[in-house]
Amino acid sequence: MEKTQRVLVVDDDPDLVESVKMMLENKNYEVITAYDGIEGLQKAKEDSPDLIILDVMMPNKDGYEVCHELKADPQYNDIPILLLTAVVSEMSKTTYTHRMGMEIDADDYIDKPVEPAELVKRAEALLQKG
Amino acid sequence: MLKDASILVIDDEAVIRDGCTRILQKEGCRVTTVENGKAGVDLINTEKEPFDILLLDLMMPGISGMEVLDTVRTIDDTMIVIVITGYATVESAVEAMKKGAYDFIAKPFTPDQLRIVVRRGAEKRSLQLETERLRREREKSLKDIAYEKSRISTIINCMVDGILVTDRESRIVLHNPAATRLLEIESVPLIDRPISECVGNKDLAKTVTAVLEIEESKYREISQEIIQGEGPGSVFLRADTSPVFDGEGEVMGSVTVVHDITQERQLNQMKSDFLAMVSHELRAPLSAIHQQLSVIQEGMAGSIAEKQKEMLVRAKERTQGTLDLITDLLNLSKIDSGIVIQSKETVSFQDIVEKACQLMEPEAEAKGIALNVHKKEPLPMIHADRESMEKVCINLISNAIKYNVEGGSVTIHLLPEGEFLRIDITDTGIGIPEQDLPRIFDRFYRAKSSKTRMVIGTGLGLPIVKGIIEAHHGSIKIQSKEEKGTTFTVLLPRTPD
Repeated sequence: MEKTQRVLVVDDDPDLVESVKMMLENKNYEVITAYDGIEGLQKAKEDSPDLIILDVMMPNKDGYEVCHELKADPQYNDIPILLLTAVVSEMSKTTYTHRMGMEIDADDYIDKPVEPAELVKRAEALLQKG
Repeated sequence: MLKDASILVIDDEAVIRDGCTRILQKEGCRVTTVENGKAGVDLINTEKEPFDILLLDLMMPGISGMEVLDTVRTIDDTMIVIVITGYATVESAVEAMKKGAYDFIAKPFTPDQLRIVVRRGAEKRSLQLETERLRREREKSLKDIAYEKSRISTIINCMVDGILVTDRESRIVLHNPAATRLLEIESVPLIDRPISECVGNKDLAKTVTAVLEIEESKYREISQEIIQGEGPGSVFLRADTSPVFDGEGEVMGSVTVVHDITQERQLNQMKSDFLAMVSHELRAPLSAIHQQLSVIQEGMAGSIAEKQKEMLVRAKERTQGTLDLITDLLNLSKIDSGIVIQSKETVSFQDIVEKACQLMEPEAEAKGIALNVHKKEPLPMIHADRESMEKVCINLISNAIKYNVEGGSVTIHLLPEGEFLRIDITDTGIGIPEQDLPRIFDRFYRAKSSKTRMVIGTGLGLPIVKGIIEAHHGSIKIQSKEEKGTTFTVLLPRTPD
C-alpha cells in the first residue's frame, strides 16, 4: 500500500485548522498542524510534509514570508504550497505583488472558507504534481 | 409754497399779531403768535416741528429782537427770519441781515407787502429744504457705496475658502487671506504680479492660463486637487478655476476658489479603514464557522440525521450570504479609497470575458442557460486593473444567469466604438420593472418581486461594477423590459495607439 501522505496545515485560527484537518483526515491524509508562521516554518523543515496548506494573514511571520523563505531554500522548494487567502478572492495576489514588488510563488490559492470537496481536489492535484 | 408753511410771529403789538395771523391763514399757513422774545425762544426750543419762517419784531420790551435773532440762529440756522422794523430804520434792518435775517418789512405794512415778503421767504425755505434733502441723499448713497465695498471685501476676507482673481494676463487682481494661507504664499504684495510667480504650485498656474484661453461657448470650470507640503502634515486642497467673461463674451480674467479638503480626506480614510477592519474581524470567525458547518454536514465529525443535515445546509447558505456581503463591503471601501485603479495595465478584455465565462459555465449549465460570446475584431485593448475587470465581468454574467429563466441564454457582444470598447451583455431573463431602473445602481437596492426573492444577493454587486467602471473613466447603462430581458452596455476607453 502507498505511504500515507503528510500535510502541514498552518493557520492562527485553531477552529479553522481543526476543520481543515478533519477534511483531510477524512481522506486519510496524515495532518500535522502549526499555529503561526515561525512554528509553520520550523515544522515544514523538520517534519518533511508532502504538502503545506498555509494561511496568509498570521502573526509573527505571515504566509507570504513563509512561502518566500521555503521557495528560496533548495532543500524545501519542492514542497508544494497551497495558500489560504482570506482577503478578497483573486485580488490578493496581484495586490501583494504590486505592494511588495515581489512575485509570490505559491503553487495554488484557495479562498477561505474552503469547501471540503474543493480543498481535497486542490490538495490531490498538488500532491500528484509533486 | 406758502401753503402749509409754519410761521411764528413775535411782536408785542396785538394788532400786528392779529393782522399777520389773519392775512397768512388765508394763504393756508399755520400761524403761531407770541408777544415777547422770551416766549418766542421758549417755543422755538420746545416745538418739535421747526418753524419755517419767523416774523420778528426788532423793538420789543424785555429781550430785544436782535437778541432773539442771535439765539434763534444758534438753535436753528435754517429758519427763515424776517425782521419787522418799527421805525423804518435801514440801519437796524441791515444789522439784522448781517446777523443772518433773510429779509425785512417795515411797519406799517399792507397785507400785500406781507404776503410778498413771506412768500419769498417760503420759497427760499423750500429751496433750502430741497437742497438739504439732496445733500443728505448724496451723502447717503456715497456712504452706501463705501459700505457695500467694505462689506464685500469683509465677506471675501472672512471666507474660509481661498479666492484668487486674475486679469486676462493671469496677473493677480484680488486675493483673500485664506488663499495666501492655503497656498502658502509668502511674498506680498501680490497685486499685479503674475500668478506663476506667486503660487508655488505649477499646475494651478497652468490651469489659470488654460482657463483664460477658453471660449465662452465652451465655458467650463477646471477642478483639481493640490497637495501642499509632504508627509503627515500635508494639506489637500481642491481648486476650482473658472473664466470670467465680459458682456461681449471676451475673457476678462479668472476666478479660483481654493477649498481645504484635508479633513474630508481623513474622514474618508478613517471610514474605509474602519470598514476594512470590521469586515476582516467579521470574516475570520465566519469563515471558521462556515468550515466547521461543512465538516459536520459531511459527517466527518460523526454521523448526523437527515434533518440535521438539512438544517446545516441552510445554516451554511446564511453564513455564505453574510460572507458575500462582507466581501462586497470590502470591495466598495476599496473603490471608495481609489485602490481599484492603482494597478492599471494594458489588458485584453476579450481574455477576461472568456475566463469569466469559463468560471460561470457550471452555474449556467445547471440552469440550462447558453453562454454566447460574439466579437467584432479587431478589438481595442484597454488600460485597466485586471482583477477589477474580472469582477465586473463575473458580476454582470452572474446576474444575467441568476435572473434568467430555465433554458434561456446570455449573449455577450464585444465591439469597438469610437474611442471606446463596447461590451453588451444581454440576457433573456425576467427583466427589471421600469420604476426600479433609476435605482438599480444604488447601494443596497434590490428590485423586489416574487421572482427575485429566491435569488441571493447583497445589493452591492451593481454599485461595485459601476464604481470600478467609473474609476476607469468608463460608463455603464441598462436597458430592460419585463419578461423579455436586460442588456447592460459598458463603454471603456481604449488604450491610445
